[in-house]
Amino acid sequence: MQEVNVAQAGRVVARKQSSELGRRLWKNKWIYVMLLPGVLYFLIFKYIPMYGLIISFQNYKPFKGISGSEWVGLEHFQRLFTEPDFFTILSNTLILFVMNLVFYFPIPIIMALMLNEVKSDFFKKTFQTIVYLPHFMSWVIIVSISFVMFTMDGGIINDIIEYFGFEKINFLLAPEWFRPMYILQVIWREAGWGTIIYLAAIASIDPQLYEAARMDGAGRLRQMWHITLPAIRSVIIVLLILKIGAVLELGFEHVYLLLNSMNRNVAEIIDTYVYTAGLKQGQFSYSAAIGLFKSFIGLALVMLVNRIAKKMGEEGVY
Amino acid sequence: MKRKLVSIPLSVLLVSSFALAACADGGKTTPAATTGAETPKATADNTPTAITIMAPLNTAQTPPDTIIKELEKLTNTKLTYQFFPADTYEEKLNTTFATGALPQVTYLKNQATFIQMKSAIRDGQFWEIGPLLKDFPNLSKLKATTNDNTKVDGKLYTLYRGVDIARQGLIYRKDWADKLGLKPPATTDDLYAMMKAFVENDPDGNGKKDTIGLTDRNDLIYGAYKTVATWLGVPNNWGEKDGKLQPEFMFPEYVATMDYFKKLRNEGLINKDFAATSKTDQQKLFTNGTAGMYIGAMTDVSTLNKDLIKNVPTAVVDVHSMVAGPSGKFASWALPGFANVVLFPKSAIKTEADLKKILAFFDKMMTPEVANLANWGIKDVNYSVIDNKAKKLDEEKWTREVKPFTDAAIGDEDTSGRFLGIPTIPAQGKADELKIANLKFAVQDPVAALDSKTYLEKGVQLQDVIKDATNKYIYGTIDKAGFDKAVEDWKSRGGSKIIEEYNALYKK
Repeated sequence: MQEVNVAQAGRVVARKQSSELGRRLWKNKWIYVMLLPGVLYFLIFKYIPMYGLIISFQNYKPFKGISGSEWVGLEHFQRLFTEPDFFTILSNTLILFVMNLVFYFPIPIIMALMLNEVKSDFFKKTFQTIVYLPHFMSWVIIVSISFVMFTMDGGIINDIIEYFGFEKINFLLAPEWFRPMYILQVIWREAGWGTIIYLAAIASIDPQLYEAARMDGAGRLRQMWHITLPAIRSVIIVLLILKIGAVLELGFEHVYLLLNSMNRNVAEIIDTYVYTAGLKQGQFSYSAAIGLFKSFIGLALVMLVNRIAKKMGEEGVY
Repeated sequence: MKRKLVSIPLSVLLVSSFALAACADGGKTTPAATTGAETPKATADNTPTAITIMAPLNTAQTPPDTIIKELEKLTNTKLTYQFFPADTYEEKLNTTFATGALPQVTYLKNQATFIQMKSAIRDGQFWEIGPLLKDFPNLSKLKATTNDNTKVDGKLYTLYRGVDIARQGLIYRKDWADKLGLKPPATTDDLYAMMKAFVENDPDGNGKKDTIGLTDRNDLIYGAYKTVATWLGVPNNWGEKDGKLQPEFMFPEYVATMDYFKKLRNEGLINKDFAATSKTDQQKLFTNGTAGMYIGAMTDVSTLNKDLIKNVPTAVVDVHSMVAGPSGKFASWALPGFANVVLFPKSAIKTEADLKKILAFFDKMMTPEVANLANWGIKDVNYSVIDNKAKKLDEEKWTREVKPFTDAAIGDEDTSGRFLGIPTIPAQGKADELKIANLKFAVQDPVAALDSKTYLEKGVQLQDVIKDATNKYIYGTIDKAGFDKAVEDWKSRGGSKIIEEYNALYKK
């Protein structure tokens, strides 16, 4: 008897709960309807395509399709890891990424802090417009502009170097100049654009905090250090995690444009390798395997950094 | 990149359901498979044959029906052209293929798509047409060498759209050469002397040493390097040595070419950054009056001239191609001779009789009358004839109405007997003549028709090993020993296998 009662009671509770859930769903139906496009977007464009990752375990032939292609297990991954250049490519990728973090990442923050101190609205707006502009140029244009400036045949930079009696420098071909050129171009193109979010975060800081600090006799640097920076700390950390998530997205186009025979040993990264070894030769499966490997590194790093962020008492991204 | 990759199978999935709708979108078309089935088996000869053709479109819009109407009249057919933008043509091709909906006549896009299709061709999905060609008087005129280059395992499955085989040569500043009293170079030594004079003797007369001899770019094939290499006696990709096929870079002439370029660079006769120079920047050096020579496709002369005289109104350009190497013999690098090919899927063409009807259509396309229609359009509407040559009446109208069909025409100028065009500048006319004169000295690629499994897998990547070593040698970062080491590296990473595989096929 008792058991039956318990079971019945359970059912009642369950019915109650489900009807409760149904009522809640119904009550907020328009919110869910509005959610739908977003969910569909992720399903169609982000989750269903993951099905395609299957091809990295196959010898994929487009005309045979996924169902008809032959399974080869981990062959493509083995080929990647035994590739003589594998460690060069991986370390090149990671070095560029670290350089990005060290040299590029802080610059928008510093620029935002500096812009925030500017009193003249006119100057501030003009300056912002100027630094945003390069972001709208494609890499092709940016690389071409640097080519014209840095080339040895009449490039202005080399002409200046020569004028002062120094040897011309082979900026475009010398392997040791590849990384500085890369990072300079990234900074030139993206630094201004990167300030937008930080400026927005700074704008939302309560001005009373500054007033109070001034009353206590804090100077500008003190205010920056004790109010502005802590206030945008969480924004910085979220952006850092997002940046790390795209760890190996160094910009295929950009690196590919800078890559040449002379600097390949420092400039070949995973993305360009996928293009030459995989796509140019129609090896879809091999390319997909490399892409999958790259995504795993990205995922692992995000999880790691997110954990660290939480340990530091920040919210993280999930 | 990854997102793009993954989207290929996805689009196969998604697009399959939309494929029919998309076809209908391209024009009033019936899906290919149905058309094939509906083709009456025993048509009397005067009933028009219905043919559906899928081809890449290199213009902004699909052309109006005017040319199709005329083509149908002349060839007794009912034509349905499905044009798809060239930019996304490969995807379209793959998805249509995956859904088994290829029409009777399927154009590929270029040599690369052809190589990708080869395994499907081996699987027997397309008709072999080689043995049938002899029954068609015009199709049998197609060039044997080009046909050989498009064979798969020795069998011919495709008709080709030709491009110039031996168009390589020298484009140079005739006004500079005249001023310095130089004749067109007859040997590679003359060529060097001309470059040196262009640098040192102030050809532009501004009193400054601000000119260079040759402009080159980061491309050892379509840049100046390969053309000069052929002049110096290097075989085309592969050559025979001791009765065995060997890659070009194992020949001493290849090293001689590297030394030649090394000297050019050391003495500043060539742009110092050529290994990082793009095609646009390379051409800019010529068109802004800095460089006096451009080595590449001579057919580019009219475009280069147009941009040059904008900057230097007094400039005169000319073309030249007969440059002999140290052996005294002249040679010209030959391209495989095709820009695109046509395939005939078995899924859409059921019987050999149907196939023959379609081949008969292409046979008619190669008569001068029809070939002129497809290349130049309707006489006195799109072009006029002067001295047996065609002159476009309105470039823009021609591009809109005729160009899509020009890009789909089979054969070459000399096999279809269509009109040659009237050159815009004299040098262009000379280039047209030289590219035919070059044919006598054309050096073919002996492996163009052979397939090596290892090459298909790793060839491009391995080629980079040699390309890098060649550039480093020219720039002096490695010496001969370093280059030899790169060749050994190439061998050990799969090159030896490629040599073996090609030689095994070559002996047959």
